[in-house]
Amino acid sequence: MKYIDYSLSEILDLLNSKKVTAVELVNSCFEQIEATADLNALNSTYKEMALARAKEIDEARTRGEKVGALAGVPIVLKDNINFLGTKTSCASKFLENFVSPYTATCAKKLYDAGAIIIGKANMDEFAMGSSNENSAFGAVKNPVDNTCVPGGSSGGSACSVAAKQCFAALGTDTGGSIREPSSFCGVVGIKPTYGRVSRYGVVAFASSLDQVGPLTRTVRDNATMLNIISGKDEADMTTSNTAVPDFTANLDKGVKGIKIGVAKQFFTDQLSSEVSTTLKNAIEWYRQAGAEIVEVDLPSLDTALAVYYVISSAEAASNLARFDGVKYGRRAPVYKDVVDLYFKSRTQGFGAEVKRRIMLGNYVLSSGYYDAFYRKAKRVQKVIRNEFNKAFESCDVLISPTTATTAFKLGEKSNDCVAMYLTDIFTVPINIAGVPALSMPCGKDSKGLPIGMQIIAKHFNEATIYQVANAFETAHKEEK
Amino acid sequence: MSITIDDVKKLAILSRLEFTDDEIKKFVSDLEATLKQVEAINKVDVSNVDLIEDTIDADTDLRRDVVIPSLKASEIVSNAPEKEDGAFLVPVTVVED
Repeated sequence: MKYIDYSLSEILDLLNSKKVTAVELVNSCFEQIEATADLNALNSTYKEMALARAKEIDEARTRGEKVGALAGVPIVLKDNINFLGTKTSCASKFLENFVSPYTATCAKKLYDAGAIIIGKANMDEFAMGSSNENSAFGAVKNPVDNTCVPGGSSGGSACSVAAKQCFAALGTDTGGSIREPSSFCGVVGIKPTYGRVSRYGVVAFASSLDQVGPLTRTVRDNATMLNIISGKDEADMTTSNTAVPDFTANLDKGVKGIKIGVAKQFFTDQLSSEVSTTLKNAIEWYRQAGAEIVEVDLPSLDTALAVYYVISSAEAASNLARFDGVKYGRRAPVYKDVVDLYFKSRTQGFGAEVKRRIMLGNYVLSSGYYDAFYRKAKRVQKVIRNEFNKAFESCDVLISPTTATTAFKLGEKSNDCVAMYLTDIFTVPINIAGVPALSMPCGKDSKGLPIGMQIIAKHFNEATIYQVANAFETAHKEEK
Repeated sequence: MSITIDDVKKLAILSRLEFTDDEIKKFVSDLEATLKQVEAINKVDVSNVDLIEDTIDADTDLRRDVVIPSLKASEIVSNAPEKEDGAFLVPVTVVED
């Protein structure tokens, strides 16, 4: 067994018992990065910096000093998370040469815990997309079948973890951008409760929906990562004062007595029969393991995608107004005056999907349409959130498919924006409600592509999600 | 909801983006298709919903009003495409008559 075949939790045991060094781990990750370079998972790598940090950590361990909870573990960050001195491109030509002058809170917490940042993951430009084909630096390939997309927008993060280039990655999720690629690549990814993880230093897409979360190969690894990055941050006023429990504490408690809600609105005609059957089998497994299955109703679920496109585009148009070719990023080489500088820099710097969202956002915010679209969408958001809160009065978690199908082919949906948007129908409602949800593998289709199961809980109840997820993972370990 | 070429041109100006005629035509159909999906929000009765603009019910608070270290000017301008003496360099914006 090679080092990269171990999970993060297993490798931590080997590090702490001095059976492996951080330097050895960094080297084996870089061997794997080179061997799997055709997947295009990473936009930049930091071998020298990583080896120097690994050496420091190894020396501290040898001296018997107290080291952090992730000391020596190689980690990848999505390319929209700032880390001092590294490029943060958001997979956009606009920020191709942007070098972070500071570090995001989530990255600092990982660094302080001893994690070694080895690279930045490819993504859809500014996190807008569901296939990772919207990157200015080329599409990412699915490591399970490289003719398929890895999902998006955190496609590089999911691909890197699945391809064993690192032991964990951070992604961001605005409408499914952690969970959909996790589902397509067969890894575990969580979108924590809005307010659980600081967004300071993470390039904003839709500020009221964006959340950072870990992607890992096991549930335990995921809980271990969330333990580190969660918590109140004075630099992000939307982070919550709610206490951060030890997310690994309930992992082995099983599901006896747990109430699992199933909503018929998640089992629509759009679902492929293989995904539907696999999910139903998983739910049946939970019943036999002692969970109680209850039916719940989410009548407005099918409007969440519409709400999402209004709110996220409106916020994106506002957030991306800062890209003007003056303060940072790309400046058009030829322009007439300052206004022309804005037009030319933005036109040349942004890709097609980003422009589409800016246009849609400015449409729904423009005079005469603001009430009909934006205000209306905010009201419907409240209705959806109330429906989730009501559902959680009768269950501990909800289970749904993460996506209606398994990974689709590269190029299959790239010319049809509505078909692409529909990929997110089961993940988007979670961001609209602000609740946490995890995607984990629960089987494969006849082509061998992973099928994702989404486990959703009420606000700040990630610990219950991990408990329910770990029970399934432990019982199905041999099938992986 | 029908979108016209003039609507798209107006939006492009608001967005500070330039498009070719073909791109504008594509936007007309893309925006129409997306807005057709968006019409789903009208299915929900919101007459009894208070307009609360917040997204979270979480326990949050404002930053304390104290001075904390921030980036130096040199760090802030470090990524500027053009800079001079620690300032952003822009084209002339005020012209004397």
